[in-house]
Amino acid sequence: MSASKSRWADDDAETEAIIAQRKREKEEKRRAKAEKQRQLEQASKASAPAQSVNELQTANGDSGPPKKRRRLSNDPDGLSSTEEVARGEEQKKVSSLLRFPVREWGPCRHVDNFERLNHIEEGSYGWVSRAKDITTGEIVALKKLKIENSPDGFPVTGLREIQTLLEARHQNVVYLREVVMGNKMDDVFLVMDFFEHDLKTLLDEMREPFLPSETKTLLLQVVGGLEFLHAKWIMHRDLKTSNLLMNNRGEIKLADFGMARYYGDPPPKLTQLVVTLWYRAPELLLGADKYGTEIDMWSIGCIFGELLTKEPLLQGKNEVDQVSKVFALTGPPNSQTWPGFRSLPNAKSLRLPPSSAPSSSGNPPLLPRSRFPYLTNAGMHLLSGLLALNPAARPSAQECLAHPYFREDPRPKPKEMFPTFPSKAGMEKRRRHHTPAAPQRGQEAPELDFAGVFGGAPGGDSGEAGAGFTLRLG
Amino acid sequence: MAHPNPGLTHLSNALATPGQLSASSSSIDGVPSDLEASIRCAGAQLTQAAGVLLHLSQDIIAQAIVIFTRFWLGADGGSLRIYSVKDVSAAALYLTAKLSFQPTSPRSVLNVYTLLLSREASPLWFVNLRGAPKQPPSADSYTITEGGYQSARLVLLRIESVILRTLSFDTHVALPHTIALTYLQTLGVTDAAVSRRTIEYLNSALFSPQLLYITHQPNALAVAAIYLASREQGCKLVDGEWWEVFDVDREELGFLVVGMKSTEGFMRAEMEKWKSPGKTIPLAVEEVDAEIERSRMMQEGE
Repeated sequence: MSASKSRWADDDAETEAIIAQRKREKEEKRRAKAEKQRQLEQASKASAPAQSVNELQTANGDSGPPKKRRRLSNDPDGLSSTEEVARGEEQKKVSSLLRFPVREWGPCRHVDNFERLNHIEEGSYGWVSRAKDITTGEIVALKKLKIENSPDGFPVTGLREIQTLLEARHQNVVYLREVVMGNKMDDVFLVMDFFEHDLKTLLDEMREPFLPSETKTLLLQVVGGLEFLHAKWIMHRDLKTSNLLMNNRGEIKLADFGMARYYGDPPPKLTQLVVTLWYRAPELLLGADKYGTEIDMWSIGCIFGELLTKEPLLQGKNEVDQVSKVFALTGPPNSQTWPGFRSLPNAKSLRLPPSSAPSSSGNPPLLPRSRFPYLTNAGMHLLSGLLALNPAARPSAQECLAHPYFREDPRPKPKEMFPTFPSKAGMEKRRRHHTPAAPQRGQEAPELDFAGVFGGAPGGDSGEAGAGFTLRLG
Repeated sequence: MAHPNPGLTHLSNALATPGQLSASSSSIDGVPSDLEASIRCAGAQLTQAAGVLLHLSQDIIAQAIVIFTRFWLGADGGSLRIYSVKDVSAAALYLTAKLSFQPTSPRSVLNVYTLLLSREASPLWFVNLRGAPKQPPSADSYTITEGGYQSARLVLLRIESVILRTLSFDTHVALPHTIALTYLQTLGVTDAAVSRRTIEYLNSALFSPQLLYITHQPNALAVAAIYLASREQGCKLVDGEWWEVFDVDREELGFLVVGMKSTEGFMRAEMEKWKSPGKTIPLAVEEVDAEIERSRMMQEGE
């Protein structure tokens, strides 16, 4: 205990009796506090370097400790008015200091600490399998990073994935437990919490889409996780239903941070080759090299639409087809709905139909009602906002969470009330989906010719026929 | 006492455990602790100098030095008899830059390190005691050959992986510099000289033999630097124990103030110690081995 006694207490005690007494009281308190602190290791940490300081000072011999001790306190000022000291101490009695989370570092464990159970999926940046932690028996997901003769050393995408996942501790972001290594230098595995489903496979297996109340619960969680990421200056850049993991307790988490990265203000130079084609925002398709979190909000819009209809909303075959599908849904851009889109690199080749009648009023314009017959007006407003061509018109994740859609009936369903589903990932090998793969890093950004986007045929929009009547209860 | 606030992760760092501070891999391998401190400090300076020549911003350089320092700590850390300080310095800088907004190429990094490690052309006192020459020496003495580049590149990338494994891929480093500026604003300090001095203290502390950046959280480093800078510049701060507002107690502040003030003395003592001609701080494994052998023979001779 004597180690925790303040080194400055003695000096002060000699100066004045009243102060001395107060100091002693304070000392008592501090000692009690330090003892508690010890349990948190922090105090013990400070003591080790403290020894090295003393050693160093005796070694150097020059700067004597007493001189420095005096520098430490505000005593010269404080002594002149005893009252001030007293007041300061009264404040001290109530002050409680914030403690920072204490983390440590150590070397990676070996992958042999896990027993691999079955293969789950091959993603764009690695192979995923289900595994068991041999010491604890816990089931985890093991993701092997792809590191193939990278000329620049450890791939920056893998590093960013680890870095952002470690930072993004949130209930709606998949939990990275640790990074383990194999025998070879480039065998690196991420150990994450195992989830029974991904949303894509689940939607494929379901006969009916989620109920409106379930859709809201899912969307709220996804946007909640995304809001956290954006607040931490992280862009996900590959949001899609197959990257959303679900368990049987109604919880959903953002996963696969292979494209995620920090952004800044002003934004750094970014590659436009991000986000899987079907979920890629129009400004990326038109070749913008400056973009922001709005691209994630577009993907959220696509996911929202997919939750409603069970089918991916915009299934383009290639970039050009994707652009035409987007414009078929939203209507072609004009300088009113999307100021400045003409200056984007790939917009030069874009020939818009001459008489694009100004679609439904409002900015952003509402999407055609017939595509989403069961959606309420508030829901329609939110979806149209997320899928606004103009990135500036899209709501932020925070605005999204406050949208009236989530407050009107039917209310979001409590997570505990969610139905459960048989897990594909849990027991058997998954069939490969036909979602196109995320773009590869290092690819050349294609020179796109959008001349044919509105080539003759009036858009691919054949779904104008009204839907039949169905009654579903939320 | 307040519980740790998980929302503060991005403002805090992983800290060394007492075990990591008491036994390093190098000390287990028989490197005397004063030699280890000298080499580590020289490596940090080498990293700083290379970062400046590579036009990297100071936040990247500072993060690289912290990662470099973490690498050598603890029995599981790197040993100076297995890994060369110059290689770890280069790889830490390359790795940190790669994750930043200013990535750099292996070629640039290796060019810069070749210059800085050149006995003829280096401006670093612990490599070339005479300092940067007025007349440039022959280009061969500070440029890398193509073959040399190819093999050095492989070493660079291998050491990068070694660093990542040793630190379990945790590359997060929170720095006190921006925190200090926020605190200065909060304290109402408008004197630019105080801000400059604060930043100077923070940058010098990167070389501290007490490893301040890996034993203390950035907010505490910021408070200690402000305390010293304002004292030195005669700038009066608010009355009362203002450091508690920034969650630093007096004890910790006192320790850090002593640590930051003593860095200069340590550096001067280092220069004194390694000044004799022909003696340089060993920055590669062979040199470390030779230095240990030399001092053993000196001791036996006595």
